[in-house]
Amino acid sequence: MSAPDPLGQVFSALADPSRRHVMDYLAARGTATATELTGELPITRQAVAKHLATLAGAGLVSSERQGRETHYRLTVVGLEWDQRLGALQSHLERRRS
Amino acid sequence: MVRREIVLPVTREELWEALTEPERLEDWFANEVDVDLRPGGAASFRWSNGEERHATVTTVDPEERLAFDWDDDGRVEFTLADDADGTRLTVVETAPAWTTALDLQAFAFAHVGA
Repeated sequence: MSAPDPLGQVFSALADPSRRHVMDYLAARGTATATELTGELPITRQAVAKHLATLAGAGLVSSERQGRETHYRLTVVGLEWDQRLGALQSHLERRRS
Repeated sequence: MVRREIVLPVTREELWEALTEPERLEDWFANEVDVDLRPGGAASFRWSNGEERHATVTTVDPEERLAFDWDDDGRVEFTLADDADGTRLTVVETAPAWTTALDLQAFAFAHVGA
């Protein structure tokens, strides 16, 4: 197995219920640190870190370092646009009122 | 490909301004915006979390169509159309490298919840 297999990576990343919980949480919160996720999920910090690495490897999650903490978020472009268009709608409503 | 549609209770002219004027974009899209609004013009977006993205404007058809290419990866196209309730805005973002994976992601994600 040497050829890249992005779809296989996505499938196996999503196959695990804990990783789906991580994604659910990130979808609801926008961003989270490994510490925050550990507090939310019944798994160890070590397991959270491993799941985040798997999700990042499949391109489902991206990370950004801020000071001592790394923040994670979903890289689902559709969710980004849902957020942006919601913000555009509010922006236009604010100008009308 | 990601596609979204929304009908907004404003005229095409009002929506075009919200999509193209930096001081308007700074109220909903990013925290700091620079746009050179012409094909080939540069655009930059900065967010308060430190994220920064650059793009090149590719299409400027006032009140009809606006498109730009992200310098990292992907293309965004806005299309404006008249609607009985105002203006219909369609957004399409494509990036050849991850199109298939994202479509799958969107599908999988829809089945993750609850």
